[in-house]
Amino acid sequence: MGKEDREVRMSLQTLKVLEAFLENPTDQLSGAEVHQRCKIASGTLYPILLRLEAAGWFVSRWESINPSSAGRPRRRLYRLTPTGLKRASEVFASFNRGVLA
Amino acid sequence: MTSERMVDWVDRAAVCLVHNAARRTPEPLSERLAEEWLADLAARRSGFSRLRLAVGCYWATYSIARERRVAVVAAASSRLAHSNIATFTGENSTVFSTRTATFLLVVSLHAAVLCGLAVGVSSKFIKLTPTRFEIHRIDQAPPPVDLPPVAKPDLNAIRVDPQKPVDNLTFEQDPLPRSGDLMDTPRDAEGGTGTLTPPPVVINRVQGGPGIGFPSAHDFYPASAIRRGEQGIATVRACVDGSGRLTSNPTIVQSAGSSRLDDGALTLAIAGSGHYRATTENGKPVNSCYAFRIRFDLRN
Repeated sequence: MGKEDREVRMSLQTLKVLEAFLENPTDQLSGAEVHQRCKIASGTLYPILLRLEAAGWFVSRWESINPSSAGRPRRRLYRLTPTGLKRASEVFASFNRGVLA
Repeated sequence: MTSERMVDWVDRAAVCLVHNAARRTPEPLSERLAEEWLADLAARRSGFSRLRLAVGCYWATYSIARERRVAVVAAASSRLAHSNIATFTGENSTVFSTRTATFLLVVSLHAAVLCGLAVGVSSKFIKLTPTRFEIHRIDQAPPPVDLPPVAKPDLNAIRVDPQKPVDNLTFEQDPLPRSGDLMDTPRDAEGGTGTLTPPPVVINRVQGGPGIGFPSAHDFYPASAIRRGEQGIATVRACVDGSGRLTSNPTIVQSAGSSRLDDGALTLAIAGSGHYRATTENGKPVNSCYAFRIRFDLRN
């Protein structure tokens, strides 16, 4: 996926995902954890995660565990990039301005 | 179907769906998404939650493939690259290809059948070929009861000497063994004379037979016999205990004229174990054997 800073089409579900990450921007969340926080169906969630990653707002990496000792497969963890954090904050700020205006 | 088998089936269907969904995504992503989705699948607790996730992943592939196509097409600068990508996208652009539609149809049919089995409506809506099944109980005379022989004392042979006190009653030798119970009867104790008849032994025996919950006809008419148009009446002998369970394998007393029908009758008789009505004697269930007829009839 490209890491360039691109515009992302904002939808309610995308905002929910960004909000989940903005609660603690240093958090690394798997798709299952984002689903638990946002209650977004997987058919919508994963395209959003990939879209934000392609736009450079997210980066992802594999969880550093040994699946055999952990007893479960490794998860793909997403976290906000500095660019993503900045852009997401701007998005929410613009929404707040719009609401307050 | 037990709940464990159901959950196992759902899990396998979910994993299969995830693998299929991942294969539908563009090549660089397919392996990664398969592993990622399977890991998230393992994090779900319930089977239906996993199945929902898998269906969602399958649905997500359309969005992912579409966005990927758009990105690739936009990045392509040369006409050759554009035509190659158009070819690639053309192969994957059909929303419901024949293969996908068939797969979804099969999954839907399986889900419908499973739901039908789960709620128990199959017996109401799934009618097999018109078959009719009747059970006729044979009211046989109860088998003779083996009771110990009751000694009949010959009380007329008792001679009483009026000159002697009653205490000195003498009895002639009774050729038959005397029943102690009869000696203790009040009439005897009073020293009266006359013929004493023993109280009759009355056993109220009610013959058993197929009872409530006995298997239905639709399940045991052999399909091979239906195809051949075979019908007939098989007489089956079954030995059951007081709780209505078979104590031995049932046997065919009279064949229905076809080994297939006989096998069906025996299968039915075995399947009905636990649903037989036990024979009762004076209201108490007892072990017994009896025969009943099973009619396989293609009419109606």
